[in-house]
Amino acid sequence: MGLLALGVFTLVDASTIVAPSSVNTVGPQAFPYAVGVLLVLTSLALFVDLARGRGGAAEEGEDVDPTATTDWPTVLKLTGSFAALVVLVEPLGWPIAATVLFAGAAWSLGARPWWRPVLIGAVLAFTTQVLFTQLLDLYLPAGPLERVSFLG
Amino acid sequence: MGDFGALLDGFATALQPMYLLYALIGVTLGTAVGVLPGIGPAMTLALLLPLTYSLEPTAAFIMFAGIYYGGMYGGSTTSILLNAPGESSSIITALEGNRMAKAGRGSAALATAAIGSFVAGTIATVALTLVAPTIARLAVQLGPADYVALLVLAFLTVAAVLGSSPPRGIASLGIGLFLGLVGTDTLTGQQRFTLGLPALADGIDVVVVAVGVFAVGEALHVASRMRRGPIPLVPAGKGWMTKDDWRRSWKPWLRGTAIGFPIGTLPAGGAEVGTFLSYSAERKLSKHREEFGKGAIEGVAGPEAANNASAAGVLVPLLTLGLPTSATAAILISAFQSYGIQPGPLLFQDESALIWALIASLYIGNVLLLVLNLPLVGIWVKLLQIPRPYLYAGILTFAALGSYSVGASTEDLVLLFLLGLLGWAMRNFGFPIAPAVVGLILGPIAEEQLRRALAISQGDPTVLVTSPFAAVVYAALVVFLFLGWWLRRRQARTEAELAAVVATPAESERSSS
Repeated sequence: MGLLALGVFTLVDASTIVAPSSVNTVGPQAFPYAVGVLLVLTSLALFVDLARGRGGAAEEGEDVDPTATTDWPTVLKLTGSFAALVVLVEPLGWPIAATVLFAGAAWSLGARPWWRPVLIGAVLAFTTQVLFTQLLDLYLPAGPLERVSFLG
Repeated sequence: MGDFGALLDGFATALQPMYLLYALIGVTLGTAVGVLPGIGPAMTLALLLPLTYSLEPTAAFIMFAGIYYGGMYGGSTTSILLNAPGESSSIITALEGNRMAKAGRGSAALATAAIGSFVAGTIATVALTLVAPTIARLAVQLGPADYVALLVLAFLTVAAVLGSSPPRGIASLGIGLFLGLVGTDTLTGQQRFTLGLPALADGIDVVVVAVGVFAVGEALHVASRMRRGPIPLVPAGKGWMTKDDWRRSWKPWLRGTAIGFPIGTLPAGGAEVGTFLSYSAERKLSKHREEFGKGAIEGVAGPEAANNASAAGVLVPLLTLGLPTSATAAILISAFQSYGIQPGPLLFQDESALIWALIASLYIGNVLLLVLNLPLVGIWVKLLQIPRPYLYAGILTFAALGSYSVGASTEDLVLLFLLGLLGWAMRNFGFPIAPAVVGLILGPIAEEQLRRALAISQGDPTVLVTSPFAAVVYAALVVFLFLGWWLRRRQARTEAELAAVVATPAESERSSS
């Protein structure tokens, strides 16, 4: 089923490859064409594989229960936490937005009681803020906390 | 010997307290991520790529080298105590090592893994020191067409060898190549696949793609089907390697090194092939064959040595040809690029001080790692007990941090999550991730060399195969693919044998309980 999705994706892919236009003989479209052909060919090969009943097995991992079915609520909660970060990071700054992300993600994955991930998240977010802006000279928005001297 | 002098200069650089500190940070981080499930050295390096904007190259590469080697050491701890490989190259260690741990000989298993890693890492680094400059000198004469050939070789071997089946590997490679195409064409200024979005005009940053498919993808994959309940950790136990353990370990260490290093240098392997070969060699040669599958120390010592030796081997094509044969190596290439350094045969001439400091730091890193992993193993065990919700929430937070600090744009965060979904889908449907990363990073290089070659020949494609070197490479490609296929079959056979061996004690355990 996933392979079907991939096959469709590759075909759409290949059709968009016509988009770039140029006058050169070996212009910007040559390499995309090659990649497109490669993708179409492999998707066909995968269809053949699938037709022969050789589907793919999900990757195993030490924290992965291979017998479990997809846990959509958890995934959605995780997506929500991430969306919160995207929305909040500019108005409220990294320390607060990252706290929300960490707490939300840990809570969705089963951390209880709720205040513990919030606390750990806040420590992590503020530490990284100080580390990045003060020691590494990389920019992170501090948001309303900008006036606190060591965060900006 | 000029090289020897250069190496001494490298040591003089790498032994400065500042660089020693970076090496220490690197190996510590590396061990930590090697121990922790869910994150590996490739992902960590990707997360740390933004550091290249503010850190000078020598410091950054010393640290990156430490992470690269450290990840190999750390992986064995997880394998032995958790019966789950921290890295794909420690699968074998998990088998015998975990049995040893269950029999109360965990610390002996950890010790033979750490010392074996040290022995192999050091010998392989010496081999790297001897081999690499010579290859680089030969490789200087290569033209664009020869490079295209080498890159095709890298693509196909990586795609065919990593992952469960060649079509899946190549599909993954194709996805990576496609992602590498997004953005503005460097030669003509044409926008490609940007969907008219200004955020995509500069291309998708390597950090965002690598972190997205590795870190976010892994977090989503785990979230979607998390294993609940306590972590099945086996205590390391007391005791140390006995005299008998030493006697049974030193030969596997050396044999593992001899097997691992060449396999690492070939663009046809990846570290896990070497570990499988070493395991089956030890099983054949051992006088204690009946212990295999029940915790034979040779089955830990050999594969762990092979693992580390091939990690050093991978650096040979990386530093001399700019050819990465693993995802981690591909990320290292993009670290070089962000300093404006093109890895390739000229590296040893143009960046001689940097490269030799890097090689010297590999020796130093190995010593540091031995110290970190022998007496301090208890700390790493604590790390294994981090509750999983916090671990994966932390991974997500650092993923967001890494991609945001590249360009401080929220578009990158959205992209990161979308790529995470892609990474999750790929994991879920059994596509390997590594070829995608290799394709992403090597794709643009390949395109540039291809177009340069064709521009020189004025559009005559035969130039790609008529250069003698390129012809040799294509011939070698055929050989490699065959060799890779053969190694896979060997590996599959070893796996089958293992399954048989492991099944027997498992059943007896069940009946006794």
